[in-house]
Amino acid sequence: MSDLEAYRARAAAWLETMVPEFGRDARRGLSEADDLACARRYQNAKYEAGFAGINWPVEFGGQGLGHLEKVTFDSEEMKHGFPSYYFGISLGMPVPILMQFGEDKAFVKERVLKALKGEEIWCQLFSEPAGGSDLAGLRTKAEPDGNGWKLNGQKVWTSWAQYSDFGVIVARTDPNVPKHKGLTYFWVDMKAPGVTVRPIKLAGGDSHVNEVFFDEVKIGDDHRMSPVGGGFAVAMATLMIERYVATDSGGFGPHLDLFVELAKAIEINGRPAIEDGRIRQQIARNYAMRSGLDAITARAMAMMQAGMTPGPEGSLNKLVSVRSRQKLSELAIDLQGSGGFAFDDHAAPKENWTASWINAPTGRIAGGADEMLLNTIAEKILGLPQDHRPDKGVPFNQIPA
Amino acid sequence: MSILYDEGQQAIATETRRVLEARIDKDALLPLLETTGAYHEGFWSMAKEQGWTALALPEDHGGLGLGLVELGLVAHQAGRTLSGAPFLTSGFGAAKAIELFGSDAQKARWLPGLASGETIGAIAFASGANALPARPDIGFDADRLDGRIGGVTAGSIADIAVVYAEGADGPVLVVAELANVGRGIVQGFDNSRCIADLHFEDTPAEALAVAGSARDAALHVLALQAVITAHEQTGGAEALMEVARDYAITRRAFGQVIGAFQSVKHRIAELYGLVELARANCIHAASREGEDDFITAAAAARLSATEAYDTAARDCIQIHGGIGVTWEIGLHLHMRRARSLAIEQGNSLFWEDIVVDGLTGEKA
Repeated sequence: MSDLEAYRARAAAWLETMVPEFGRDARRGLSEADDLACARRYQNAKYEAGFAGINWPVEFGGQGLGHLEKVTFDSEEMKHGFPSYYFGISLGMPVPILMQFGEDKAFVKERVLKALKGEEIWCQLFSEPAGGSDLAGLRTKAEPDGNGWKLNGQKVWTSWAQYSDFGVIVARTDPNVPKHKGLTYFWVDMKAPGVTVRPIKLAGGDSHVNEVFFDEVKIGDDHRMSPVGGGFAVAMATLMIERYVATDSGGFGPHLDLFVELAKAIEINGRPAIEDGRIRQQIARNYAMRSGLDAITARAMAMMQAGMTPGPEGSLNKLVSVRSRQKLSELAIDLQGSGGFAFDDHAAPKENWTASWINAPTGRIAGGADEMLLNTIAEKILGLPQDHRPDKGVPFNQIPA
Repeated sequence: MSILYDEGQQAIATETRRVLEARIDKDALLPLLETTGAYHEGFWSMAKEQGWTALALPEDHGGLGLGLVELGLVAHQAGRTLSGAPFLTSGFGAAKAIELFGSDAQKARWLPGLASGETIGAIAFASGANALPARPDIGFDADRLDGRIGGVTAGSIADIAVVYAEGADGPVLVVAELANVGRGIVQGFDNSRCIADLHFEDTPAEALAVAGSARDAALHVLALQAVITAHEQTGGAEALMEVARDYAITRRAFGQVIGAFQSVKHRIAELYGLVELARANCIHAASREGEDDFITAAAAARLSATEAYDTAARDCIQIHGGIGVTWEIGLHLHMRRARSLAIEQGNSLFWEDIVVDGLTGEKA
């Protein structure tokens, strides 16, 4: 057994012992407050067992292992329905950026430890009402105020802001220069006066994203994590932290086996749907797509193990898997006919076709809309030109509305 | 089997690409569309000289002892440049059937010629929409074949064929020389595939000794061929994606290169996705030979490669506009090849059923 396989086995065995207290069934029916409390206990258990901050430096409380161990653990963890998503953003982007760019090391270390133990949560304040994909078009202002700054403006789609203790934020410090050049990156105390968080109820009924308002929020210059006007580069670094993360070729929807089970259980014209050519075709096509994505991931892992850099094809995963999940979920509802009307708004998208279907549009937009991902493939991989951009090189305050 | 190519395998890909790009061009391939019974002799002599015919056959019968990964790499490059003959895959299928199920005498008799390329082999299994018919069209009785089978790739040229025939107790696999067999050449849309109807009449043939069911044996041969063809399809799709990209960054309209329009650039980005899924499935399938899930992996490779090649052919022509539909530019060579490869060795409907049977635990 390779070291990595031994690590996988150890992780899998430990995760198994966590199932009774934190797994899918243990969480069923919990209120969100109770679920979050459960999540904090689970995160602390991970920390105590040495499975938090797997690829983070030991000096910050991490395990000092590699990216492969991290991806290996995550792909095992995904199987059990543990409540890890409250910390997904926090530990995925803001806290690693804090480790990289935070100046006050003692402060950083304290924050990182609390985040790793699930005691504190960080959010990422990037998107705004006027721009999601067009990040550099943001309008929230940070103006000099004594020795520090004051923030005014609004962010939106901020995951878990309602439970966050801190956030990282990009704000405009100079409207007189082209849009990318007038931004600065800060951290902010989410409990500070003038910060208002309002959850947004999404189509599926849950509210993990928020609007966040900043009204004369004062922050010190020690909150600044980039040079003044150098915020866009740190924002990009935030988004590039982990190119190869644990993936799910099912697009974070149900496993294909569940569709096969459904097709075996349902009859069309007196015969099992699994014998119907239309259904069989969709199963086979989905299988081919998922096996291709799995093979891409396996190859990337093998390359990393061999000390090589994986190819750019890993960027296909979200684009391909989530929209396929969306269509397959529609078909699964269709297949049930008049039995398909029921909806449990607490059902998990990985286990329930209706929950998967109603939440699928979020997956195609959050973390890079399909269209942006296609642009990235076209421009960065294939060398096709950028779109026509009328705002290019124009000072932000002169961009036509 | 590793899913990362080693240095030797990468060298095979590089060298194959070099010789094919130097010696194959569309001007030699276009005339082959308008005649029947002809193939690109330069391609075939290259395949023999370079040892591609021997690549995946056993060393003790004149082969080089390599496998699906290496032959797949050659097929990928052949797909990029549009090979001018189908014998690499058809001969490989016939040779594998004999290697896996033949007697020592049969192996000694046929394999060296197939390995050197002096003998051209064909596979004759299908009956129309049925890649493996419940009751094959050709009858086998007292070591003689009788009957007609339609649409055999390489059929107009091949020296021998492995035939899926109806024996006394159901289907059997047999090998026959084709010297005295009636051949009706099919005038088709991709004539260098050398497709012919074969008419057996009291034709001598030898049964291969299949231990289990002949259907399983024939399916295994088809799956081996399908992995090679999937590589060829992926190569063709990859080449078309690059042609589309190159055109989109040079052709101008409305004051800019057309690749700056999202309707064009997204179409090409989608092709990239299809090509990479097909490539990943091909590499995976080639690494699974001999494993329980090989047939399903081969089917997945086949399905995604067919989709990639057909879509690339369609979209590459579309992106070119009017020039794309001309005879001279030759994009139709790929469009034709995409379809002929799609129906050789079982169409997509056949492989879809194989996948689902594999997933539901039905016998594939």
